[in-house]
Amino acid sequence: MSEYEGIVKMLRFFVQTKNFSYVDRIGNALNPEPVEVTLHEALRAFRSIRESAFVEDNGRRYVEKDGKKIPVPGIPPEEEVKAFLDAVRSDIGVAKRVATLALAYPSKKESGGDE
Amino acid sequence: MFLSVGVRFEANVEALNMVETAGNYSKHRRVPYLVEEDGKLKTVYVPALSGESLAHAYQEHLVREALSLNLPVCDDCRRNEFYKSMNKVHLKKKVNPIPDDPKKIEVAIVQSCVIEDVGGFLYAEKPPVRRSSAFQVSYALPVKSVALFATSEPQLHARHAQMDSSSKKGNASEQMIYYVETGTALYGFTFNLDLNAIGVSAITSEPILNENEIKARREAALKALFRMLSSAQFGAKLSRFFPVGGITEVAVAVTEHPFVVTSPIYDDYIARTERRLKVLEGLGEKYLFTVATGEKVPEEALKEAMDYLKEQGAF
Ligand SMILES: [Zn+2]
Repeated sequence: MSEYEGIVKMLRFFVQTKNFSYVDRIGNALNPEPVEVTLHEALRAFRSIRESAFVEDNGRRYVEKDGKKIPVPGIPPEEEVKAFLDAVRSDIGVAKRVATLALAYPSKKESGGDE
Repeated sequence: MFLSVGVRFEANVEALNMVETAGNYSKHRRVPYLVEEDGKLKTVYVPALSGESLAHAYQEHLVREALSLNLPVCDDCRRNEFYKSMNKVHLKKKVNPIPDDPKKIEVAIVQSCVIEDVGGFLYAEKPPVRRSSAFQVSYALPVKSVALFATSEPQLHARHAQMDSSSKKGNASEQMIYYVETGTALYGFTFNLDLNAIGVSAITSEPILNENEIKARREAALKALFRMLSSAQFGAKLSRFFPVGGITEVAVAVTEHPFVVTSPIYDDYIARTERRLKVLEGLGEKYLFTVATGEKVPEEALKEAMDYLKEQGAF
């Protein structure tokens, strides 16, 4: 699933900010449409949050939630989004797996911010 | 007596139910909807209003109507903060010391607050006490046949901040742009009110209050519904996004036992409701069914239902 790393990181960011709606909707989807709509909404919200996030001197972005600094990852690249949506069209199980990964602890420390 | 109302309203460019703000984007609530197109089912996402949002509005109206009839409303509810005696802190304001018996707790709450009597409550301590709401309200969803024409669209707005160049930091600017997603649809929702549950214990099914008090509370509950629909005071952001449109149809059924009108999201809901009622009539159920479509205005149908309830001695 590393080919969808950008999407997983974005969904994980929402989980860290206690917004489970996108990851739940993608994980519970029974057909491709809800995944497409949810991903669109998530990307739209994510761009908006990212633009108004604090920028550190090293260029990394973060938001503050309950006194904690949560790094804002990069926006998933176009090819990845396209590949993911194509994969979901042929196998809805891909969406469930991506959502599940986003709920798990990342295996290595993520630096967040612009990479 | 049981009242069930189906409401259809047209709302253009409304922001009645916003769900979250992400950066400078505030989103309208949306739900997936199954619609049939050319014999095939498909999922579309349509703007919606939650039942929670409508219920909050109804209870705000109930506060006002109860107070105007000199009925008791607790301090929290008076401020439209519907904590509903959720814990010791809030319950102590009504009864102190707090009794151990759930029945006594229910009596204390119902006696001191019409909102919690009609709208239910959950006291989540030991012992937990729960009272179901005497009114029920559905989500407001676009009418099926025109759901594909429902839209939600972000509208661009700008907010101005006065600042001189010395106080200007980073990318802060005098003008902040933001987007408010608005919905446009012909919506339908259902509202039910079980008049027999008002002032009656949910634990023992015995009346908690005397008959006059119960009747007065029923009157307040009905007037609150009347007012909510008549004034279109429900949903959020009314100050700048008061929906353009209004109630187009209502169908009101009053029955002796619980009966719910067919959901107004279906085009034939009035005819179907009528047929269903006819069957019940055959089984001995007395009812009133009145609709406001075309010439009749919603207030006239609601008034008719209230007059009927009065005749039947409900209040
Ligand atoms: Zn109260």
